Amino acid sequence: MSEIGLTWPKNFNEVPKAAFTRKDIYAEEMKRIFFGQEWHPVAHESELPNPGDFKTFRLAGVPLLIARDREGVVRVFYNACSHRGNQLETAVMGNKTEFECPYHRWLFDAKGDLVGCPNHRDFLPGFDKSDYPLAQPRFDSFYGLIFVTLSAETETLTEFLGASQNTLRELLGGDGRLKLLGYQKVRYDSNWKSYTDNDGYHAPLLHQAFKMLNWQGGKGRQFTATKHGHICFESALSVVSGPTVLKDASLIAFKGQDPAVGSRIVSLFPTFVSTKHLDVINLRFATPVDEETVEVHYAYFAHQDDDEDMVLHRLRQSSNLLGPCGLISMEDASIFHRIHIGNHTPGNAIFQKGVHDQSKLESEFLQNDESGNLPRWEYYRSVMGFERAEA
Amino acid sequence: MMQTDTTLESALDALLMADASALDSKDMMGWLANYSEEDEASYICRAAENSENGLALGFMYDDCRSRLEDRVTFVNDIWVGTFQDYRTRHFVQRVAYQRADASTISMRSNFSLFMTPTDSGITQVLAAGQYLDTIRLEKAGALKLLSRRAELDTSVLPRYLVYPI
Repeated sequence: MSEIGLTWPKNFNEVPKAAFTRKDIYAEEMKRIFFGQEWHPVAHESELPNPGDFKTFRLAGVPLLIARDREGVVRVFYNACSHRGNQLETAVMGNKTEFECPYHRWLFDAKGDLVGCPNHRDFLPGFDKSDYPLAQPRFDSFYGLIFVTLSAETETLTEFLGASQNTLRELLGGDGRLKLLGYQKVRYDSNWKSYTDNDGYHAPLLHQAFKMLNWQGGKGRQFTATKHGHICFESALSVVSGPTVLKDASLIAFKGQDPAVGSRIVSLFPTFVSTKHLDVINLRFATPVDEETVEVHYAYFAHQDDDEDMVLHRLRQSSNLLGPCGLISMEDASIFHRIHIGNHTPGNAIFQKGVHDQSKLESEFLQNDESGNLPRWEYYRSVMGFERAEA
Repeated sequence: MMQTDTTLESALDALLMADASALDSKDMMGWLANYSEEDEASYICRAAENSENGLALGFMYDDCRSRLEDRVTFVNDIWVGTFQDYRTRHFVQRVAYQRADASTISMRSNFSLFMTPTDSGITQVLAAGQYLDTIRLEKAGALKLLSRRAELDTSVLPRYLVYPI
């Protein structure tokens, strides 16, 4: 039983709206989920392709430094000096083989070793630089996608990903050899769960564009992976046929391979959403800021084997299609905000589409079923220790 | 000492104001009318953070006249009724300009942009940055944007975007 009181509805298709808005629940989520036994994607290795490249990122407020050393090895560090804890690197990205803390001039290499500190004869007797490397969280990677966990108890990354691995590998170009195109970064006025609950596939009714572009929905499969309730989609790509209102139809053209499974989404608990749709490869690194705010870094990629024309096509499509101002996703962003406002009302959010029996959980769904989110909610409930009401 | 071309400066400022005015009144056809009819007319809105790191991806990437026209269709037709509307106020200031050739001028301006969502009524800064413009001096004497890059200091937007910046 959780120390914080929230009675969960007896039906599996209902989620109490209070879970999205209460400060005490958010504080507990930090402990049980973000500092708990989950893996959090923080970068893809292709964001730092060259020796000395680095990226910084805040994961649930925790500052991280992800750096590639001279030999090409990528490591994750806490972005804080091992001396007094000063934020070490302030740039969001760049290239350095050494990181110097300006406070007392402690100097670290990209392996995290302390290689210099002035006046150390004045330090404690026996001071040894080798005792003060940059601290590191546990990290691991999957086809270049770098995950961090803030708990020593977390299962292996392979176990965590489970049956989502095939979909995720294919989404990462099949081999993870990606090339970074750039970022769209945004804060949404939305609880992190409202964001993840509504990103990915959902009712196409929202998207007027589909109708106006003569864009028919593709057939697809949605399934749950692992007890965490990760959600995977594999869908036949629907390509626009016939007239469209767009004068430049290349925005919605598909120039890649394999339209039979041309659309993939992997949504990993707790906050990560990734998608490959048309020729867009998009990893969304999301982190809660507070109970009312989530920050999402949409990172877009080409594949290293792309020719120049394909890179340009992906760049043009990525910039305009799926982000916080994309043709078929701007409305999603609006829904994140509006759902969060609506969640400040009593009662439960209710899932309907695809629910066959509200007393049972399923693991296979149709593409546009709402019910695909329910295993994740059951996992959330259990991690948070909320008891389900008696049937 | 170079002589200040007050007539040209007035015309450049008038173009800046016309763009700000069209955007703040949500007049997308008016926004489009500030751009050259040439095929390569373009509007790209991008975080300076991307540009400075050699990353070309933008928030909006309308790199030809057709895409500018499609941007009007997004706002006026496709997205109608799906978002929380917001007012904008652009504050624009010309910083520098130079003639590239007889018919082309490059200009750099600062902008700050306030937004006021209709539902909350609370005004906040949406973005700040620079416009990097290439301006065509057309035969009839009119100035039109051949290309505009809205280069945002704001690398993390405080909300989703509907209208160009």
